[in-house]
Amino acid sequence: MSMKPALEVENLTKKIKRKLIIKGVSFTLYPGEVFGFLGPNGAGKTTTIRMIVGLISPTSGTIKIGGKNVRTEFTEAMKHLGCIVENPELYPYLTGWENLEHFAKMDPSIPTNRLQEVVTLVGLTNRIHDRVSTYSLGMRQRLGIAQALLGKPKVLILDEPTNGLDPAGIREMREFIRQLAREENLSVLVSSHLLSEIQLMCDRVAIISKGAVIRTDSVQNLLAEQERVIWKAEPLSLAKELLQEETEVQEGLDGTLITLYNEPLLPEWNQKLVQAGVKVKEMRTQLPSLEDLFLEVTGGESID
Amino acid sequence: MRKYTLTIVSAVSIAATLLWLFGLGWTFQDQFSSNKKFEQPKEKTESAISKKQDGTLTIFAMGDSLTRGTGDADGKGYTGYLLERLKEKSEQEVNLINTAVKGETSRGLFKQLQQSEIQRQAKQADVIVMTIGGNDLFQQGTTLESLDMNAINSKKQIYLSNVKKIYSQLRDLNKEAVIYHVGLYNPFSNLPDAKTTSSIVRDWNFQTANTAAEFENIVYVPTFDLFQLQVENYLYTDQFHPNKEGYKLMAERVASLINFEQEEKES
Amino acid sequence: MINLVRNEMLKLLRKKRLFVIILIIAFLVPLFTYAQFKEIQDQRKKMGTQDWRTVLQQEITDTQNRLSSSRIQDEWRKYLKIRLSQQQYYLENDIDPRAPGAPTFMRVFVENSIDLLLPLLVMVIVADLVSSEASGGTIKLLLTRPVKRWRILLSKYLAMLLSVSFIVLSVAVLSYAISGLVFGYGGWNMPLLTGFAVSGDELLTDNVHIVPQWQYILMEFGLVWYVCLIVGTLTFMLSVLLRSTAAVMGIMLASLIAGAILINMVSSWESAKYFFMVNLNLTNYISGMATPIEGMSLGFSMSVLAVWGIAGFIIAFVTFSKRDIY
Repeated sequence: MSMKPALEVENLTKKIKRKLIIKGVSFTLYPGEVFGFLGPNGAGKTTTIRMIVGLISPTSGTIKIGGKNVRTEFTEAMKHLGCIVENPELYPYLTGWENLEHFAKMDPSIPTNRLQEVVTLVGLTNRIHDRVSTYSLGMRQRLGIAQALLGKPKVLILDEPTNGLDPAGIREMREFIRQLAREENLSVLVSSHLLSEIQLMCDRVAIISKGAVIRTDSVQNLLAEQERVIWKAEPLSLAKELLQEETEVQEGLDGTLITLYNEPLLPEWNQKLVQAGVKVKEMRTQLPSLEDLFLEVTGGESID
Repeated sequence: MRKYTLTIVSAVSIAATLLWLFGLGWTFQDQFSSNKKFEQPKEKTESAISKKQDGTLTIFAMGDSLTRGTGDADGKGYTGYLLERLKEKSEQEVNLINTAVKGETSRGLFKQLQQSEIQRQAKQADVIVMTIGGNDLFQQGTTLESLDMNAINSKKQIYLSNVKKIYSQLRDLNKEAVIYHVGLYNPFSNLPDAKTTSSIVRDWNFQTANTAAEFENIVYVPTFDLFQLQVENYLYTDQFHPNKEGYKLMAERVASLINFEQEEKES
Repeated sequence: MINLVRNEMLKLLRKKRLFVIILIIAFLVPLFTYAQFKEIQDQRKKMGTQDWRTVLQQEITDTQNRLSSSRIQDEWRKYLKIRLSQQQYYLENDIDPRAPGAPTFMRVFVENSIDLLLPLLVMVIVADLVSSEASGGTIKLLLTRPVKRWRILLSKYLAMLLSVSFIVLSVAVLSYAISGLVFGYGGWNMPLLTGFAVSGDELLTDNVHIVPQWQYILMEFGLVWYVCLIVGTLTFMLSVLLRSTAAVMGIMLASLIAGAILINMVSSWESAKYFFMVNLNLTNYISGMATPIEGMSLGFSMSVLAVWGIAGFIIAFVTFSKRDIY
């Protein structure tokens, strides 16, 4: 892409007590894209994110937000950044409005009418003058996003944004994030340990395990490679024999067969089975589990 | 409203900070610059001039541990019981001011009498009661054990001259009040050397009474006889100070000497 | 910066801590007022006189009697001796150190609360100033603003300073207003002696001079404020170092109480005078009370406190700007 990157992370490492926790992470975010940060708990997602937002100082490596180095030009860099690290923890004894006012005052470049703008944007107008302690988790999440958007950032960082939300909330959040990226040309970095979430939200994804980025790719590419088809057929041994002629077959635990997903060939395979007198009871595609994906990309290294 | 609270509290806090900083600065200036001279307050407040409280009888007690009441479980001493007796006897208000100090000797008492406040109290008193001399003579029981007559005599001379000074000073301060000097008893009268010790105490008392007689209205109140028999029943566990019963005996004796009508007329 | 401090003041106010402090004071002051009122009444009844000279004289005699007791501790004897010569001094110069009145009550109240009560109140406010942000997670939002960390901490420190001033002011105003109902509001111009210095057993009166009570009170409140500020700074440092407010309170409480106990025991352990908590009783130097340890003076105690305060301040700022926040 020819656009100027919104966030550049280069060779980031972090050592804690002589143990290398983050082992050289690099990636780049461009305006208008939603970037997924995928990895199991403990893989180093949160540590990396905290280094990006300046809560933890990296041992080495550079982070640039909107071209400004976080370590040397902290205030300038932070002006381009909005974030929620883990849960949106706001002051429960202040009202939503007071919370926003509090954070807005910390950046003199934020005009006063911006508060009303973000409140409308996240749809909290009705309850904004109530105390945060009376808010539901979803409302807090929205208020959290409102405070992150206060300074019209170029980069929005959301650490596990759907944690603890109900399915409706998750969906709403997802759409909201896509909308922000589309309409405000924001780059959004979303971390998650759920593949399905990343898949639905993100354009590109980085898979992180044990403190290192194993792979960065577009979601389509990543998934297309890994998507499988589950077959339930009778008799199983015949079905397996026939399919093995066409592609690689694994046997599932509960009497199923697993093959790779290959859209154009799939009807042919099916026809072949039917013609041979195999009763195909079920045929469904399945996303690989995160574990499968990991096993795949790390070459058998399990998640710990 | 909420907005105003914040502004008001902040403004008040800032003002307070300045005020306390100023106070702190003043402390520095005041405490650490040493060129200050102490000026005696020029005006004495009017209540400093001694004035007698009308209609009340003021007893001024001074002296040593006997007047303080050491040994009495209730801590009243003979002055306390005296006060009770007098209150029973009369409708009049009776006040007691006790400035006695444990272990006071005649010399110490004379020194104490130089203090302006003590003098003021002495001036205001209608009746003065005192015990002194016990510590000069006994010094926690050591003198009489050695029974060194020479040492005792020299002590007695010092004591008598001090007592004389005390008497005359009191008379100077207060011409009218009757002074009751409560005498000594022999706390060792049940010990083997009783004869010798008793004669020493008797002589001591006699000489004091003689000195008292040189002044007007000074009554020397004997207590020797009170403790002469069954001394152990009237002594505290230290075998030196009187106990409650002993103090009551002393109080009765002094009380019987204080004549109300006369006091009132005089005051 | 003003905006940042304003933010911190807003949070302090909304947490209702200042309000609680004022309530505590408003509850305690009538208690002490009543106690003192009772004491005065009792004294009058006992002495049968309203003349303070008689009362003071009686106190002097009592002190003398206690001094003559042989079972008395050395430190206590020293203290009594100094007290005695001071009382004598007041008597000779015809100054009633305890003339009833709201200003006198204020003075006595603040003298008695400088080493424990007020530091405790300050602690209640300051303990969670930083640690609550850490334990509540809001520190993550606070530190990802385009503001340098030291500025954020400084704004909190200034808010701490302002609330300390506010607490001290509340003590002054409430103790005056409430006790005045009983004792009357006059007595600001009463002369008081200050400048006593203690050297060994002797009470030095070279520098003794008279100040009107209002000045005396202002000076004492200046010292009280100073003590509270130092205690506040140290609590502030702990609040930065520890995530748990309870731990901050626990440590401060322990050291303050340890100080109160130590003062009564340390006269022979000389180096204990470098602890901050035995140096809190600054007002004692103004009124000329005995020092707990030989060699302590107003200047000494204030310097010790200043060193502790500055050290706490530096530690707080260095750790806060360097620390990784997880």
